[in-house]
Amino acid sequence: MTATSAWSWRSLRLAPPLLPLLPVLAWLPVLLVLPGLSHGGGWDLIGQFAWAAFNPSLDPLVLGSLLSGLGITVGIALLGWALSLALGLLGGVLSSRTVWRTLIGSALPAELIRRLLAVPRAMHELLWGLLLLQLLGLQPVVAVLAITIPYAALVARVVSDLLDALPTQGLEALRLAGAPAAPALLTALGPALQPGVISYGGYRLECALRSATLLGVFGLGGLGTDLRLTLQSLQFSELWSGLWILLLVMLALEALLRALRQRWAMPARFGLTRRSVGRGGREVALGLVLLLPLLVLVAAALGVSPLQLGQLQPLPPFTADWPAVAALPWLSLIGSTLGLTLLAAALAVGSAPLLLLLLAPWPWGRVLIQAVWALGRLWPPPLTALLLLFVLQPGVLTAALALAFHNLGILGRLLLEAEESAPMQAEEALVAAGAGPRLALLYGRFSALARSYLAYGAYRADVILRETVVVGLVGAAGLGSLLLESLSSFAIDQLIALVAVYVLLTLMGEDLSDRLRRRLLAA
Amino acid sequence: MLAVPCPLLNRPNFPVLSSSPDRLLLELCSIRVPGRSAPRLDDVSLQLRPGERVALVGPSGAGKSTLLAVANGLIRPEAGELFWNGAAPARSRRRRRLQQALIGTLWQDLRLIEELTVQQNLNAARLARWGWPRALLNLMLPVETAANTEVLARVDLSADLLEQPVTALSGGQRQRLALARLLRQDPLLLLADEPLAHLDPRLARDLLDLLLKQASGGRALLLSLHRPDLLAGFDRVVALRQGRVVLDAAPSGLTGQQLAALYRSEA
Amino acid sequence: MFSLPLLRPRLPRPGFRLALLAGLALALTPAALPPQLQQVAPQLAGAQAQQKLLRISAIPDQKPETLNRLYPLVASELSRSLGVPVKYVPVTDYTAAVSAFRRGDLDLVWFGALTGVQARLQKPGAKVIAQRDIDASFQSFFIANTASGIKPIANQKGLSVLKGKRFTFGSESSTSGRLMPQYFLGQAGVRLSDFAGGAPGFSSSHDATIALVQSGAYQAGVVNEEVWQSNLSSGKTDPKKVIVIWRTPGYANYHWLAQPNLDQRFGKGFTTRLQSTFLNLRASNPKQAQILDLFGAKRFIPAPVSQYDSIEKVGREIGKIR
Repeated sequence: MTATSAWSWRSLRLAPPLLPLLPVLAWLPVLLVLPGLSHGGGWDLIGQFAWAAFNPSLDPLVLGSLLSGLGITVGIALLGWALSLALGLLGGVLSSRTVWRTLIGSALPAELIRRLLAVPRAMHELLWGLLLLQLLGLQPVVAVLAITIPYAALVARVVSDLLDALPTQGLEALRLAGAPAAPALLTALGPALQPGVISYGGYRLECALRSATLLGVFGLGGLGTDLRLTLQSLQFSELWSGLWILLLVMLALEALLRALRQRWAMPARFGLTRRSVGRGGREVALGLVLLLPLLVLVAAALGVSPLQLGQLQPLPPFTADWPAVAALPWLSLIGSTLGLTLLAAALAVGSAPLLLLLLAPWPWGRVLIQAVWALGRLWPPPLTALLLLFVLQPGVLTAALALAFHNLGILGRLLLEAEESAPMQAEEALVAAGAGPRLALLYGRFSALARSYLAYGAYRADVILRETVVVGLVGAAGLGSLLLESLSSFAIDQLIALVAVYVLLTLMGEDLSDRLRRRLLAA
Repeated sequence: MLAVPCPLLNRPNFPVLSSSPDRLLLELCSIRVPGRSAPRLDDVSLQLRPGERVALVGPSGAGKSTLLAVANGLIRPEAGELFWNGAAPARSRRRRRLQQALIGTLWQDLRLIEELTVQQNLNAARLARWGWPRALLNLMLPVETAANTEVLARVDLSADLLEQPVTALSGGQRQRLALARLLRQDPLLLLADEPLAHLDPRLARDLLDLLLKQASGGRALLLSLHRPDLLAGFDRVVALRQGRVVLDAAPSGLTGQQLAALYRSEA
Repeated sequence: MFSLPLLRPRLPRPGFRLALLAGLALALTPAALPPQLQQVAPQLAGAQAQQKLLRISAIPDQKPETLNRLYPLVASELSRSLGVPVKYVPVTDYTAAVSAFRRGDLDLVWFGALTGVQARLQKPGAKVIAQRDIDASFQSFFIANTASGIKPIANQKGLSVLKGKRFTFGSESSTSGRLMPQYFLGQAGVRLSDFAGGAPGFSSSHDATIALVQSGAYQAGVVNEEVWQSNLSSGKTDPKKVIVIWRTPGYANYHWLAQPNLDQRFGKGFTTRLQSTFLNLRASNPKQAQILDLFGAKRFIPAPVSQYDSIEKVGREIGKIR
């Protein structure tokens, strides 16, 4: 009515609450293309799949085999996680600038170690698994190591970032007072590091469970294998028995970690729950003491032993035909992989806040989206992809939908947690002034969440780039599908080239998403 | 001792959007809100007529904030009845929203949306009356600039601030912006929870004058405050103590002794 | 720090004890299941430690239940006849089977022609032990969903009707479910990118291919003759919904492949005895009859290595052998 004439494209500026919703626009082209891609051939299979959710098989034989698969998966996750945490802490200290500056006065070794650690991080755990499978054979230790190696590098990076972000006044004071370097570091930085490490460490265990399941899908043992076999032989009731079991375990784990995080890593608010650092520290120590024998027990039960590392074998003999490798259509391979990444990231990042906005005010809405998101986290993307193939044609879009669903589960949960812990006064004020629940949520709460959510989304995009390899079997044209094909052809030269390209791409993606994140958080 | 019986009248069961001199703007009847040990509000009744300016006083913890939260619908009392402009809180979501739009609150912590601009914050007060398209447009383009300029002028803020982020404002400017947002909402019933608490005397006086000025033309003001020296412009003073109304009188009739007694438990 | 600002849950505390219990129970799951785990895990560990255990396996080309029924029978028959402990080690992936054979983790494996060639190339000296009577001239069947409108075709050239259709192979490394069919498709001028969606599917096993084509998820597919027949006779396949449209010419396929060092490990002449055990399986012996029946064969016959030369050639042409 008033300022309409003044509107122009130049004055168009998106306010923070809209930013997380912006990627939702990626759905528009997807929805346009989707009818053309769907062939509808397998809708009755999808129906059977959905129906089987309510009719899981209760056959003791099936359940027994699933439980033992679950045992292997959980065991692999636990071992891989514990190892990666130990190695990652060590690596984190070794790649911390503060530490090196205190010890030798120069941060150069830290920079060097940081660069080195980028390589194991850039390879998805599945790639590590398939590679180690060639070197070590079919042994449970392969899956454990496949999780340990990239996770340790990730933990190292986070720990060193945490370390370097800590205020150093205490450390300097101790050093000036004449304390030796190592004890000074431990005293000044150790306790301050604890909450961050505990919070992040717990989160890594959740990831480890997902990774262990995924490795199983690719034949490295455990429940994932059962899930894949039952899906491929269309035994949906048995499939759902496995899914329900895994869902229970995942939710229990998440609840446990959440409780521990609150107990050990959160500052007591308002002094209502007075808890000294000392008690938290003692409990953490007790937890570690309890964990150690458990890990030994698990390792024994799984038949994982360090001795197996001694059985390294060379890669199979191969004739390197580098010109042929160079002649691969690299540009289109990389292009479709990047396209897949961006599309999946946009769909996942945008859908989570949209769903929350649409469903949250409805009483059962929250329960419903939490259920859908739990399923997304639980359900490895290659299996979603296989399921989608019942009704969609293979291709980048199908792969993107599968990846997006999985990451929606992860992003959505984080969004919900952040939303629950964000201050709600502004939203309350809007409701009191008569705004509808959705608009109040959008204006009042998304405003505060937008930047940190998008920053996390940027990090997630970088993870998705690594994950494109796991949906190779439906990707049709990307690096991932070629990688799986060259593995089954034992085309080692091609494999090396593909892995190198993946590493390069992820390193570049990591750098980009780091910059984006810094910009978002600084603004 | 001052319990006002609720008149048994035939009341409309739909929100009434305009005020009328013979209708109470706010009516609380024997409100009870439970608390941890003692009830936060116990048998509280209060009536506001159009044009009335009522100060709510009492020591900390007497229930002033709770009473305001009941009055603006955030807290649902355990017992007692509540009427806005003659109508009980509506059941239907849409009607309830229209009803809420008639009640404006000036929050002690302001509750501005820090990440948005001044203009977007002002427009946020209109969300009850706007549909989604305009609500979304407000997050992209300048919307209803003229109306916003006008309310900013009423609180002595320059229109140059419209496109500034809230974070760029000074403390005093933020206080005024919160008031401007209240004006933009254009409610019949103005509630204010200790709006003067952290202001220096001059600013406090200015803001209070602005608020008192708004309670005219069929509007009413209910304001909680801590300072006996600022009671002059009010029509009535309602004192709370331990969740109960202990006094409801014109400020002119209050003796210094009575006032001192109200705040005594704080010492 | 990307995750920390978001990882700030605010939940009431009462769930803590419950969560702790749940977590403990969860952590103990793997430890509480040793009996089953023992069957799965340690069998793979340490080739050196298991000098006297003959580990047999098979590529997972059929439903796991079928495999789990058949191979323990084979294991016990071999154990009886050879006098050494024999254990069946299930493998979940064709490629993993080849890798495990190369590493010496598996002593005797039932390979397809392609995986067998891959394994022999990676493990020079590996010995082809035997094949079934049907393996010397094995066939693949192209099948189609009746609703797709695809009709049986008269000759190989007719395969071009599959262009633009949703088509699935079995496993990527399957001889009868991928390699030879792709070869015959190529001869008929059908490339992989000609299928709907720009690529074929890989269902992972023959049983899955039949189920997917029958359901309509894929309009056509290719399976091996043996699995098709057994699905048809067991009534799992509905001939009204899925039909055979073309049978390929015969080619050599499945065979038992043994490690080169079995004689050193189990004594002189062990490989020969192993071979004769297979060749002497007879339908007159009830237990052996059961094995032969599950294998879908009348008996096992010697397998001349030269018959896989053409497979190797096709494998190289298609790029599955380097």
